[in-house]
Amino acid sequence: MSVDDTGRSDRPTQEITVTVNGESVTAEVEPRLKLSDFLRSHMELRTVRVGCEQGVCGACTVEFDGTVAKSCMLYAVQADGREVTTVEALSEDGDLHPIQEAFHEEHALQCGFCTSGFLMATRELLAENPDPDRDVIEGALADNICRCTGYQNIYDAVETAADKLEGE
Amino acid sequence: MKPAPFEYHRPSSLAEALELLADLPDAEPLAGNQSLSILMSNRLASPDHLVDINDLAELSYVAADGQSVEVGALVRHREVERSGTLADALPLFPEAAGKIAGPVVRNRGTVGGSLGEGDPAGNYPCVAAALDADLELASADGSRTVPAEDFFIATMFTDREEDELITGLAIPREPFPPARTGQTFLAVKEAAQTWPTLSAAGAVRVDDPAADEPVVEEARVALANAAEVPLRVREAESELAGEPLTDAALAAAGETAYEAVDPEEELHADETYKRELAREYTKRALTTAHDRAVA
Repeated sequence: MSVDDTGRSDRPTQEITVTVNGESVTAEVEPRLKLSDFLRSHMELRTVRVGCEQGVCGACTVEFDGTVAKSCMLYAVQADGREVTTVEALSEDGDLHPIQEAFHEEHALQCGFCTSGFLMATRELLAENPDPDRDVIEGALADNICRCTGYQNIYDAVETAADKLEGE
Repeated sequence: MKPAPFEYHRPSSLAEALELLADLPDAEPLAGNQSLSILMSNRLASPDHLVDINDLAELSYVAADGQSVEVGALVRHREVERSGTLADALPLFPEAAGKIAGPVVRNRGTVGGSLGEGDPAGNYPCVAAALDADLELASADGSRTVPAEDFFIATMFTDREEDELITGLAIPREPFPPARTGQTFLAVKEAAQTWPTLSAAGAVRVDDPAADEPVVEEARVALANAAEVPLRVREAESELAGEPLTDAALAAAGETAYEAVDPEEELHADETYKRELAREYTKRALTTAHDRAVA
């Protein structure tokens, strides 16, 4: 690996070990590889949607180190030694998670591109606040953009999901 | 939207981080990455080295005693928003934190990052200006303290040297005894993710909240996105101080703000509109702060 006068070796890679959806994964990555690209392209976790790639759309939202984060604003190297959870971990044995069921029942998606991000943001919201009112829901989903639904069905779905989870 | 190559460093102590910043050419500290990553994705910044300070637990503190409130640089917006200590001591700080983007961004973004970005539209620079905060900076050579007023120099240009790290800020409590103080942070913005067109931080201390006509002992107002730097409008403050609050004093404070600002025109807000916002939100911030002081 050559080192130029910037003190930076040319295209270095680094070994990382990340716990993704409960499984430990070791990989060799360039530091500039975004966590979103690592999860979608290297790990083939296709629920991680790569949209704007600059922190605006929220489609790549995952749980990182215990809280939701936009994975295009994290580098995969930052996940070394950390835990990451994606929508793949929500359903068990093919059964939809109650939040996913609610999104399905309330028609909270049309094209579905943004849905993963909304599911992850909703999951954190309902874990912290099991009975949010409409304003709280809107605030909690403010980092996620949907260009199809106009949001109302998504907010309905969050309310329905809250009811489902309360009944469990 | 991929950043240029860089080398990644993850120090486990402040001393180690400062050594790296001193030794590495063209290095940037990496904290919440809610602004730097946008610049890097668009190749507006391409540092050769990133020094990840997320493991520096020693920069993650909120502490208050009788004299001051101290907040570490690595405290996340979400933690500021939910801090009971800050809600009791300096409520405009958590109010400002809650008005940054949405919760996913607030989970990651940090106090130090927002101050260091030096965006005149930012919430924390405005808070720091309003509350007369001191910024604490450290390098391998030592540490120093810079008043907010001197720290912000121009748009995204601050007094921080390249090998320095913001470690935290300290805010004096003496002007704001909670029982006689009201504070607020108002932001004018179209959507959560957008930068505010204008924001106003206000604080008012009265002599006796229970009096028929409480006298304003001290007033503070600072505006964001109204000039090249967060703008404390001292002339507006002095219009209120020393007397009970009147509509005439508020109107005079608003007029001084209209004149004091030097706003940059934006697509949906020309200079006159932003001056008018400065006038109106100076009045609203001071009114709200006063109402909370006497409540």
